[in-house]
Amino acid sequence: MALQSTTAVASHTGTTGHAREGGISNVILGMILFITSEVMFFAGLFAAYFNVRATAPGGWPPAEFVGKLHVFPLVGVATTLLIISSVTCQMGVWGIRRGDHTALVRSIGITVVLGAIFLVMQATDYLALYGDGVRLDAGTFGTTYYTLTGFHGAHVLAGVLMLSVVLYRSMAGQFSKEHHDMVEAVSIYWHFVDVVWIVLFSTLYLIPNPA
Amino acid sequence: MSISRPRRSRLATIAALVAASVLVAGCNAVDLLRPPAAVTAQGHEISRLYDIVLAIAAVVFVLVEGLIVFAVVRYRRKPSDSSLPPQIHGNNVLEVVWTVIPTLLVAVMFLLSFESLNKVDAVANTTDVRIRAVAAQFQWTFQYLAPDGQTVLFEQLAPEMAVPVSRTVHLSLRSKDVIHAFYVPQFLFKRDVVPGRENVFEFNVDAADAGQTFSGQCAELCGVYHDTMLFKVHALSPEAYDAWLQEQIAAARATPPPAASAAPGQTQIDLTAKNIAYDKTSLEAPAGQPFSIKFQNDDPAVSHNVAIRDAGGQEIFRGEIFPGIDARTYPIPALAAGTYSFSCTVHSNMTGTLTVK
Amino acid sequence: MATTALTPAYAGRRAGLYDWLTTTDHKKIGILYLLNSFVLFFVGGMFALVVRLELAQPGLQFLKEAAYNQAFTIHASLMIFLFIIPILAGFGNYIVPLMIGAPDMAFPRINALSFWMLPLAALLMLSGFLTDGGAAAAGWTSYSPLAQAKYSGVGTDLWIVAVLLIGTSSILGAVNFLVTIFKMRAPGMTMFRLPIMVWTMLVTSLLVLLATPVLASALIMLFIDRNYGGHFFDPATGGNAILWQNVFWFYSHPAVYIMILPAMGIISEVLPVFSRKPLFGYKAFVFATAGIGALGFSVWAHHMFTTGAVYLPFFSFMTFLIAIPTGVKMFNWIATMFRGQLTFSTPLLFALGFLTMFLIGGINGAFSAAVPVDFALHDTYWVVAHLHYVLFGGSVFGVFAGLYYWFPKMFGRMLNETLGKIHFVLMFVGFNLTFFPMHILGLEGMPRRIANYAPGQADWTALNLLATIGGFTIALSMLPFLWNVLVSLRSGPLAGDDPWEGNTLEWATSSPPPPYNFDHLPEIRSERPVFDVRHGLGKGRTH
Ligand code: HEA
Ligand code: HEA
Ligand code: CUA
Ligand SMILES: [Cu+2]
Repeated sequence: MALQSTTAVASHTGTTGHAREGGISNVILGMILFITSEVMFFAGLFAAYFNVRATAPGGWPPAEFVGKLHVFPLVGVATTLLIISSVTCQMGVWGIRRGDHTALVRSIGITVVLGAIFLVMQATDYLALYGDGVRLDAGTFGTTYYTLTGFHGAHVLAGVLMLSVVLYRSMAGQFSKEHHDMVEAVSIYWHFVDVVWIVLFSTLYLIPNPA
Repeated sequence: MSISRPRRSRLATIAALVAASVLVAGCNAVDLLRPPAAVTAQGHEISRLYDIVLAIAAVVFVLVEGLIVFAVVRYRRKPSDSSLPPQIHGNNVLEVVWTVIPTLLVAVMFLLSFESLNKVDAVANTTDVRIRAVAAQFQWTFQYLAPDGQTVLFEQLAPEMAVPVSRTVHLSLRSKDVIHAFYVPQFLFKRDVVPGRENVFEFNVDAADAGQTFSGQCAELCGVYHDTMLFKVHALSPEAYDAWLQEQIAAARATPPPAASAAPGQTQIDLTAKNIAYDKTSLEAPAGQPFSIKFQNDDPAVSHNVAIRDAGGQEIFRGEIFPGIDARTYPIPALAAGTYSFSCTVHSNMTGTLTVK
Repeated sequence: MATTALTPAYAGRRAGLYDWLTTTDHKKIGILYLLNSFVLFFVGGMFALVVRLELAQPGLQFLKEAAYNQAFTIHASLMIFLFIIPILAGFGNYIVPLMIGAPDMAFPRINALSFWMLPLAALLMLSGFLTDGGAAAAGWTSYSPLAQAKYSGVGTDLWIVAVLLIGTSSILGAVNFLVTIFKMRAPGMTMFRLPIMVWTMLVTSLLVLLATPVLASALIMLFIDRNYGGHFFDPATGGNAILWQNVFWFYSHPAVYIMILPAMGIISEVLPVFSRKPLFGYKAFVFATAGIGALGFSVWAHHMFTTGAVYLPFFSFMTFLIAIPTGVKMFNWIATMFRGQLTFSTPLLFALGFLTMFLIGGINGAFSAAVPVDFALHDTYWVVAHLHYVLFGGSVFGVFAGLYYWFPKMFGRMLNETLGKIHFVLMFVGFNLTFFPMHILGLEGMPRRIANYAPGQADWTALNLLATIGGFTIALSMLPFLWNVLVSLRSGPLAGDDPWEGNTLEWATSSPPPPYNFDHLPEIRSERPVFDVRHGLGKGRTH
């Protein structure tokens, strides 16, 4: 190798946890990019929903589903809980940024529980709706309703699982003021899941029909 | 092996000669790269646009390909090249030039195609020649509509459509199942037949083409037998068309003849259609006496029939076309000894031979 | 502070099977990508030969329609989803960390996961042949309602799941590339010193990130329609057939740039090296690549001009526009060769193959941008000619250029030049013989996706026979290539670090590179650090 001018390379330990240039860490950047792709995924589902809704022959919701979706009590409470869980999640992040382990464990613990309750409430709501004739194969209304909320639910489940890992690792004391990229990354994901729900909830339950 | 300067310019000369002869040969080949002669007013419009696009494309191609060939021939590395060539990193003027020129070219092409699109896609909706093509796996039927555009005057189960020349034909497209596409190469045109929506377009066949038949074919993959969805368009003079139309309307009004059953003692041949194919590819019948074909159509909702042609290709019998699952008994007149062919009018790939002796 | 962690001692060639199965080294994963993709290229090629054999004559010779439709569907699905997209990701995997002076990808284990989804997906897709209804047969575009359960069997479900897996693999890979490129560049490697290959991987990854999830959502909706009584895409039950096309092409048009941009990147590395000149118009390349990526999201409906359901002038206009940034690249490549000193080694030959053939593919694509012309050409063999001129004439020639170029780096040995040239000539001739006649067939009205055509249809028979002969010539060209690879792996002449007098950082390390890639990095002062070192242009020179 006839390389005349060389500089020594920064040490290569093979671990890739931390950025060399400062700025956000690899894990957090990776999570943000991944969430970008998730946004596009939901965009695809929403596009289908709006297309179906706009071209439904008898207006939306179709006559047989008018008044079948209820905001209260179940969905409204679930929505509130999910929003609260975003706050508790963020409190955990703030906690560990101060190096406060107790706050981290407590807040993430509450977040996991709230997420799980959301899932249970969603399942209960599904059962009720199913009994009421709103089924996956019940016209475009049922299909879009369950596909959109179902995929959101799957994301909540994924978030709860990731939060549980965070919880487990924080109880094992693996995070510190300096090293807690995973907490930050998972919290971003959890906020994303929350935002999707707000958009989804508004779309399915709130946006009125241009008669 | 050292290539001196004169040798190199000789190489360039040879390259230029090769390029020139390719160009000459190219001119003869140009006709191969043009679509068939159009037979509709809209087709002529498309053909004109195609020629312009082809011309621009040819110029771009020859120029750019020429530059590549030139660079390859002219700038090969020679053994004497030990020092580096000039290290040119770019040139902003050139960048602008080769951004602006293609921009102008595509702008021209866009404007021309926009203009011609408006002509090709125009639907005046004033004609009273209204036909609806109905596509289904795997057949075409053509419904002739009253001027109101709704009432079906009669339906052509055979995949053959008659249209008058010199008059505007309004064609609407419906699908019973998946997506198909109505495509007649000599129209230089196709339009998808999409379930759930009705596409329409209009065309005018040239007066000079009265008496011609154009073949068409489904152009959108629609399932296993997509390749069998052929159809024909017969161009008739306006008078012939009107006569034909009245004939068909009258025939549709008449009550259909009672289904013939085989006369006792007469030979009966069994034939079945399934999966867009006959179960037999050769049949035998006695010469000089009428016989019957008992035809079973086992393709649900798909239409078939049996038609018989003599050795000269002349159709001498055409059985009723009907959708499966169902059966018909076709009475066949006495035939002279010889070899005939039989086929399905709807699916021209369903064929066999009929030996009469 | 060179704590070069070269322990355990460099294991390169001696790595056992277990190492390969569990590796997280980007170079080994890159090679696995190449290997897997090449195997599937041959399988996909076999299906193409089956198609060509059936079409050699009119009538049905070897296959019934049902089998034919499976053959071209699986041919295209393998070629697109399991050959061309992954193999370009494979090159990226191998070369991006080297080019930016990084020890590995940002997430090595996710990288391994991305790879291993691919063989699994291939098995799933091919296992369709074992089911009752056979493999997927609705074309690689899988239009609904044809792809609904009513019209197609379990093979289509397997196809959907396989493509979903591949999509997930791509998305994870894209995240990995982006973080690697944004965060792991060596000191001095600024964005405008990145090799163009890295830029193309960056833009490609953005396209994957934004487009592939939309395909995933479409596939999931189709799966729900097929298996759980959903009503998205079937008009018979209240859905919308055109919706599928919109979502599918919203992915698949950007996807065609996913399939070409990295190949353009390869060409942009090969041409300067073998011309001994810098790439002409570096920044123009960056902007053109970004421009193609951005415009790529606004042209999807040019595949739907004949549906009667899209706003034609807009999509026609945007489609025409895309010729401009691509033209900028073409002219810059040519300018790179001008006044250079060209050495006609095999990589350059394939790069020239790319230039000449992609030009044809780009131009015959632009025909379809003129909507009325597309009314004639859509769904005929003209489009088949277009897609092979860009995908084979472009991407595949680019893949081979890259393979011949980086083989010495990957395996430490040179490939045989004579065999390489035989490969090139046979492939170039065979390619044109196969696909040029398809222009004429298309104009004469031969629709695509038909197993049978009537005899006596103009000169369809002769042209089809020609295409079949060409197809087998391409297959023949693979023999000298395979022979070359197998022999050179064991006994090719040693390559040394930098056999081509390269420009970019991968040539500053050994061949093959050690784990974690570099002992020492040269100072990076331009987009050609190794060139600078070779010619003593270290200090003071700014680009
Ligand atoms: C690598 C993949 C790739 C690439 C790069 C492209 C590039 C382009 N494609 Fe292609 N395309 C496909 C893969 C690709 N395509 C596939 C697979 C299909 C079929 C899908 C299916 O149905 O199965 C398809 C189909 C397809 C259609 C639909 C045809 C139909 O079904 O009716 C259209 C229509 O507009 C189109 C257009 C274009 C255009 C305008 C470009 C442009 O990007 C090309 C631009 C390049 C140039 C033009 C050459 C260089 C430029 C110059 C030298 C400047 C000067 C030039 C001019 C002024 C013209 N393509
Ligand atoms: C990267 C993409 C790619 C590539 C490389 C190819 C390569 C080839 N394609 Fe492909 N093709 C597509 C993408 C591609 N194709 C797509 C997207 C479609 C549209 C499908 C659709 O309509 O849905 C299509 C459709 C298509 C059709 C139209 C089918 C139809 O519409 O009915 C045809 C017809 O000839 C064809 C032919 C070929 C041939 C002959 C090759 C050849 O280049 C193949 C070369 C052969 C080999 C590489 C074989 C390997 C070598 C051997 C077998 C010998 C040695 C082996 C050993 C020693 C092990 N292709
Ligand atoms: Cu109907 Cu193809
Ligand atoms: Cu496209």
